[in-house]
Amino acid sequence: MHIDLKKEIRESNPGQIGIVILILVVVLAVAAPIIGRYDPIQQSAATLLSPSQNHWLGTNHVGQDIWSQLLYGARTSLLVGFSVGILGLLLSILFGMSSALIGGIYDRVIMRIVDAFIIIPMVIVVILVAAYIKPSLLLLISLLSVLTWPGGARVIRAQTLSLKQSGHISASRTFGAGWLYIAWRHILPDLMPILLVEFIYGVRRAVFMEAGLAFLGIGDPMVVSWGTMMHDALRFSYLDVWRWWLVPAGVALSLTIIGLTFISHAAEAVLDPRLRGEAVA
Amino acid sequence: MKAIKHNLVTYGIAFLFIVALNFILPRMMPGNPLTAIYGDEALIAMTPELKAHLVERFALDKPLWEQFGAYFIAIFRGDLGYSYYYNAPVLKVILGHLPWTLLLVGSSLVLSTILGLMLGIESGWRRGSKTDRTLLAGLMSLNGFPDFFVGMILLLVFGVMLGFFPLAGALTPYSGISGLSLVLDVLKHMALPVAALTLAHLASGYLLTRNTMITVLKAPFMLTAKAKGLSQKVLKYRHAGRNSMLPVITMTGIRLGRVVTGALFVELVFAYPGVGQLTYQALLSRDYPVIQGVFLMVAISVLLANCAVDLLYPKIDPRVSYAY
Repeated sequence: MHIDLKKEIRESNPGQIGIVILILVVVLAVAAPIIGRYDPIQQSAATLLSPSQNHWLGTNHVGQDIWSQLLYGARTSLLVGFSVGILGLLLSILFGMSSALIGGIYDRVIMRIVDAFIIIPMVIVVILVAAYIKPSLLLLISLLSVLTWPGGARVIRAQTLSLKQSGHISASRTFGAGWLYIAWRHILPDLMPILLVEFIYGVRRAVFMEAGLAFLGIGDPMVVSWGTMMHDALRFSYLDVWRWWLVPAGVALSLTIIGLTFISHAAEAVLDPRLRGEAVA
Repeated sequence: MKAIKHNLVTYGIAFLFIVALNFILPRMMPGNPLTAIYGDEALIAMTPELKAHLVERFALDKPLWEQFGAYFIAIFRGDLGYSYYYNAPVLKVILGHLPWTLLLVGSSLVLSTILGLMLGIESGWRRGSKTDRTLLAGLMSLNGFPDFFVGMILLLVFGVMLGFFPLAGALTPYSGISGLSLVLDVLKHMALPVAALTLAHLASGYLLTRNTMITVLKAPFMLTAKAKGLSQKVLKYRHAGRNSMLPVITMTGIRLGRVVTGALFVELVFAYPGVGQLTYQALLSRDYPVIQGVFLMVAISVLLANCAVDLLYPKIDPRVSYAY
């Protein structure tokens, strides 16, 4: 299990492209206040303007600067994506590892819950909750994290079980190491490549879900989001504004997801060594 | 048998979770539970008799666990509640929209599965070649486009700009046409949404087939088959291709379960009158019974599809039944 994930990704073309795209999105999101020039929420009387020197991508139906919205939208996507990625992963590690190490009835109960969660479609659960509680960004992040951990937990449990049998762990046990120490000192480092892959999956799913839900009009109206932009722009599709309003938002969202897909494809070779040697592809 | 029993327990847990969520959420809301269960629309129609009837039906004056019992029994009688927005039983409202969704998702599911399989087999067979690399890069990029964005682009290009296809709906309203021209009208309306769904979901089947194909090609039985002097065609399709189908069939089964929500976003883009559109409208008008009903329908179809895959799988791959 000692695989250099960074090398694996760096040596594959799609992996490189993915990293470049992701870095680009992160830079734009971080630099949003500098390159944006306008407050993305600030409404004005200048509505539905065409692109110009002042407004690179024009303005929307309430006079907000679309270019600024695009940049701040990246912030929302990345914030939700990475938060859900991390929170979901932590839950996966907690339940997956403890399941494998404790075993017995605890293991069986957790795995049953995992199986049950995996088959429930996430979209409709979030819609149901959103119908009753208008979800803030924080609630959305928690909801998505709680709904996405089971997949990762199963993978982590399987890997922990196989690691548990390996020589260095038994050696460590005979020296009197406790399971907590072993989990932290030996199992976690060996799981790193898989954790990274699971993390990227989680981020990708969350970015997708956030945009989709915002597209449905679910979510905080004060938060700038690519999904909301597309939702609003679609209502004006009879005008030409979709060219600089709808398309940039959609392309930005798609590019972000493509970047993540490319990275995860390169990293998948870690989970399935039979796919190795893909470096040329 | 043991596997099926194990899975049935899992499905039972999933179903119970969904029913419980459906039950608890409206009752957790502050204020009158009747509003939360029935939506604002019901309050307008509310008379003392109706109120008394509803309280009794949901056993709202009883302890929580008795309420849950009443709710559970109602579901098994097929009583999903009453929508005051549509002034009709929820089950009837949903069943009225379901055929359109089944049409959209069904056709795109068949199309994307077949196309994904074919492309995946070709790509995996010629791994590393130019064809393979182009397909892989192209479809992986396609995978990043959310179905609603693909739908919008198709709508704007082929609907708005070129005017080839109608912009919204499933039928031309009040046209009074029948027979062949009606079929053509339906086909014309579903062309773009189906194309959007197919394009957006093509990649997952393709990637899965390609990955399995690569693994299968390295299996010892492939070497044996080659050594027997079988033709390339037989090797590619009957030996490698057939074995690469298994994961895709599982995936299609899982997607079949999501048939109810599968076209949610795309229906919205094309204003297609399916369950997705219904859900969206219900969300806007706070028509809680309908949302709850859709949620329950989704749950049931997911569980049924999973059961079907479990039963079908050992028939396709006998190795599965030995595994337990």
